[in-house]
Amino acid sequence: MPSTKTEFLAPTSIDEALQAISYEDAIFLGGGTSTALLYKTRLIEPSRVVWLGALRDLSGISISKNEIRIGSMVSMSKISQSNELSQLVPALTTAAGVIGNARVRAMATIGGALAHADPRQDVPPALIALDAVVATKSSGGSREVPLAEFYEGFLETVLAESELITEVKIPVVANRRSAYLRYTPTSEGDYPTVGVAASVTYDSNNKAIKDVRIVLCGVGQTPILATDSAQKVIEGNANPESLREAANLVKQAVDPHDDERGSADYKREMSEVFTLRALRECLA
Amino acid sequence: MKINFTLNGKSAEIDADPMAMALDVIRDLDLTGTKEGCGVGVCGACTIMVDGEPVSSCICVVGTLQDREVWTVEGISEKMPDLIEKFIDNEGMQCGICTPGQIMAAAAISSVDITSEEDIKKYMAGNLCRCTGYQTILNAVEDYLAIN
Ligand SMILES: Cc1cc2nc3c(=O)[nH]c(=O)nc-3n(C[C@H](O)[C@H](O)[C@H](O)COP(=O)(O)OP(=O)(O)OC[C@H]3O[C@@H](n4cnc5c(N)ncnc54)[C@H](O)[C@@H]3O)c2cc1C
Ligand code: FES
Ligand code: FES
Repeated sequence: MPSTKTEFLAPTSIDEALQAISYEDAIFLGGGTSTALLYKTRLIEPSRVVWLGALRDLSGISISKNEIRIGSMVSMSKISQSNELSQLVPALTTAAGVIGNARVRAMATIGGALAHADPRQDVPPALIALDAVVATKSSGGSREVPLAEFYEGFLETVLAESELITEVKIPVVANRRSAYLRYTPTSEGDYPTVGVAASVTYDSNNKAIKDVRIVLCGVGQTPILATDSAQKVIEGNANPESLREAANLVKQAVDPHDDERGSADYKREMSEVFTLRALRECLA
Repeated sequence: MKINFTLNGKSAEIDADPMAMALDVIRDLDLTGTKEGCGVGVCGACTIMVDGEPVSSCICVVGTLQDREVWTVEGISEKMPDLIEKFIDNEGMQCGICTPGQIMAAAAISSVDITSEEDIKKYMAGNLCRCTGYQTILNAVEDYLAIN
């Protein structure tokens, strides 16, 4: 346990939270799953922890005709068990439902999951494939950042230190399908060797493909948006050949490293295999 | 810091470092049924129930339990004697170190939709057991769900 005493605050409004965070070495605490591990091993020794659990404004899910809004303190278990969300954005509910184990899912929040920025995480690729936008507040004001532009590197995001994620917004797009698949060869609860989120949007007749997103995790320093692959699927209107070409092209987009979840070469091969499967599942 | 919550059905106020892990705080209250295994959220030996859901107390900052409903294996054993019976009937344990966690996971299973044996396996997947080979644990949980 760290020796220095850490102050623990539980603000009940966003303004209070923003005030509390503007203090040397202060950090936000969501569900605490990743923070607890770092704190226990003294990798971090914050002077102050600002827990967001008493802030009721951040704990709701609202769904309107055009937009889904998920408060940053909503847990993975709540997301994965929402029937409405699984109809609209199956890639997200699937990703939220496979993280670690039931205990992690009960505690981990969507805000914490995004800010943590481990490139092996399951939820970021799903949300990028769904064009999600991160809404934040800080003493300097509010902003909205597309999640596709949120990650800068390993454990690094565009967030300023005192910037609070308030919610995640996902557009409700007509005729869009999505899927998330991950490959965990060692054990179910492990981080994935590779994870692939795909979304395919059809035109109003549900015939021609308008838009495709393919996003991978576990195979780079950040989630990887495979734009060339997506383009192939659009050009071929998802014919079988275009899916195979798209999956093959993914190997050039990823940048994996050797680790206990596989060699870089193996991960590249598995990226192809699981991209093809994710696309097929999405189109099925 | 004073932290107030419900513990095993009774309101509790503790004075603890809010950044301590719930596992250590709970064991210091002489509730030593909750075990430490891995200490990193993976094995499930330290499982407690918070607002009906299972939580790894080894990575649970105790300050976050403010105003929440917490159960440990001691309370669950009294509240759900049938569940304990089913573990005994099915010999759902050998050395016993994982057993409090298995029981807590099983107790929390009603927080999700379970429709098949596959669902039970998926839900219980994060509770590791080095002895039983899992089948007797699954039998115990299935038996329990069949009567509830
Ligand atoms: C055993 C285990 C297994 C895991 N397995 C997986 C897995 O298979 N797949 C996977 O994707 N992930 C996995 N994880 C990681 C897990 O997804 C993250 O730990 C979790 O999502 C973080 O969320 P949290 O709310 O607990 O974050 P916290 O620990 O509370 O916070 C994480 C970071 O985000 C910051 N933060 C939190 N909330 C906000 C906010 N609203 N605004 C700004 N900053 C904020 C904190 O300051 C901190 O830096 C695993 C974790 C564990 C412990
Ligand atoms: S000791 Fe907490 S999960 Fe292993
Ligand atoms: S009974 Fe020994 S670890 Fe499960």
